[in-house]
Amino acid sequence: MVKLEKCRRRLGPGVEFYCEAFHAAPGVHMALWGPSGCGKTTMLNLISGLLRPDEGTIRVDGQEIQDFTEGRLDRFRGERFGFVFQTFNLLAPFTALQNVMLGMRFSDTVPASEWKGRARELLERVGLGHRLHSKPAALSVGEQQRVAIARALANRQKLVVADEPTGSLDPKTAKTVMDLLLEMCQEEKVTALLVTHDRDIAERLPEQFDCSGLVEEVA
Amino acid sequence: MSLWHIAWSYLWSRKLPTSLTIASVALAVGLISSVLTLREETRKRFEEEGQAFDIVVGAKGSPLQLVLSCVYFMDVPTGNILYSDYERLRNHDDVAAAFPIGLGDTYRGFRIVGTISELFEYQWVNPVTNEPRRPFQLAQGRFFERPMEAVLGSTVARQNELNVGDTFVGTHGFMELPEGMGHVHGDWPYTVVGILKPSGSPNDRVVFCDLQSVWDIHGAGRAQDAKDEEYRGPWRPGVQGDEAHVEHLPASGGRHGEGDAEDEPREVTAVLISLQSPALRFQFEEFVNDDFNAMAARPVSQIAKLYDQLLGTAKTVLLAIGYLVVVISALSILIGLYLSILQRKRDLAIMRALGASSFEILGAVIIEAFWVTVLGIIAGWGLGSVVTAGIGVYLAQRFGLYVQAFGLTTDHLLAFGTVAFVGLVAGILPAWQAYQTDVARDLSQV
Repeated sequence: MVKLEKCRRRLGPGVEFYCEAFHAAPGVHMALWGPSGCGKTTMLNLISGLLRPDEGTIRVDGQEIQDFTEGRLDRFRGERFGFVFQTFNLLAPFTALQNVMLGMRFSDTVPASEWKGRARELLERVGLGHRLHSKPAALSVGEQQRVAIARALANRQKLVVADEPTGSLDPKTAKTVMDLLLEMCQEEKVTALLVTHDRDIAERLPEQFDCSGLVEEVA
Repeated sequence: MSLWHIAWSYLWSRKLPTSLTIASVALAVGLISSVLTLREETRKRFEEEGQAFDIVVGAKGSPLQLVLSCVYFMDVPTGNILYSDYERLRNHDDVAAAFPIGLGDTYRGFRIVGTISELFEYQWVNPVTNEPRRPFQLAQGRFFERPMEAVLGSTVARQNELNVGDTFVGTHGFMELPEGMGHVHGDWPYTVVGILKPSGSPNDRVVFCDLQSVWDIHGAGRAQDAKDEEYRGPWRPGVQGDEAHVEHLPASGGRHGEGDAEDEPREVTAVLISLQSPALRFQFEEFVNDDFNAMAARPVSQIAKLYDQLLGTAKTVLLAIGYLVVVISALSILIGLYLSILQRKRDLAIMRALGASSFEILGAVIIEAFWVTVLGIIAGWGLGSVVTAGIGVYLAQRFGLYVQAFGLTTDHLLAFGTVAFVGLVAGILPAWQAYQTDVARDLSQV
């Protein structure tokens, strides 16, 4: 599903990211873990096309994406990737329902006539059927992250990337959200790549990839 | 979830700054819209009234002053001409109708206009709109038949609460003076015999009376009256001048200036003339200027000059101010959107992560500028119309000019188009800023 080979990206003066090889099979649930600053998020950004490598190849769902035009990459990202962020990143002016619908707005995967029904169904599945029309400011942090999970799966994506999805939650809520995320990914049969610095969380996933040493100082 | 909806949601989430930006656009558009409407409407009204008569003949002086004083009843007259000039004019072959006008007094600021009752029968067709005009239609009573009977314009009657049968006295001169000041013709009360329907013309602000009343009050023509048994009325279409005589109106005593008036010939302030054809205007104007000790003026051309010179400049200045405010509004759109984009770079990055293209982000911001501009234009047009309506009330009361406040002309559409264009241009910089979103960097900023 995802393959990186000899991937290099300059991050700043004298600092660069380099990954010799990485592979995640379709449907796998994998933790990318390591200490802060080791390059986990950079790797996630390269995989999802938010960053481009200076060298090397990135293959996602059978396509090499590093040379895609900006527009094609935008479209590819919208169709293939779902994102869950540490700070939820819901759009404040929109309701929970509209935030999930936005997950489908920018690609053609789900027909427009189905957006509302699909968003409602996903929100009900994450336990927020009663908060459809609440705006993010009116939701608790746990509820916000559940909306983000629903949005990440709205477009029937093949790959969900989650960057420290429980980093802003208390332990109890974090466990609930984590269980929900993995369960939903299982049900939707999507590949999940989860970035975390927490070894315990990483070990809850069937596979782990140690990102230590991916960022290094160069001359 | 169209881009329009997304843009609108962001504007709605910033209600106060959005409202202020819309208000600044509305102020600019309101000013421009009001200037355009007032200019167009007053020009139309002036030109319409100016079409009523082909030529005005009065004492030599400023032609514009003559037209304003005797057609629109606004300015001070240029002086008087001989009544015998009026008689010569009305008997000219090119003249279809001629009406003498005698000014000199006012009633609480409203002009008292001495004329002949045939004026009330006068009808004309607006050559621009082909609309038949009957400016003198009675709402109550009858037209005057003898001296010291008055027919009131609708505004005069309404503002002074005068009804048929009431009496009032005039004050000498054209200034509106406080009660008790000025020379009041206390011995010469007028009796209201008729009230005109509102006509949307300066006639609404006029007290019409028999010309003889003006002569009687001011003493002029008394000596002449003694010599003549009767004076002749105007020439009317289909009626020879000799047949159209008016009953002799004897002079009365007890007026001011009596001693000086003994040998003075009768005078009128002006003569309003309708020609057999508008095509004769230039020729007849030349004829009067050459053959009479008087001046002829074409109302339409004088009003056109007034608009081109005086009001044209005023319009340019006001429009320049309006467009300056548009530029300031455009800056406020630019600053408002720019700050908004800076504040929500993360939101834009999220949309990019969800698959929105750079062009969709650019489009959404341009649409925000469009919303602000369009709402500003609509609000501004409404505001301008309300302001115009307010000014219209003043114009109607002060000058008898009725303006249509909710005007939408080609000039308006052109101005609104310009404002919309400027508003969209103002949105380009913030949109470009949004277009260049660095998704990974903006997402990483907590």
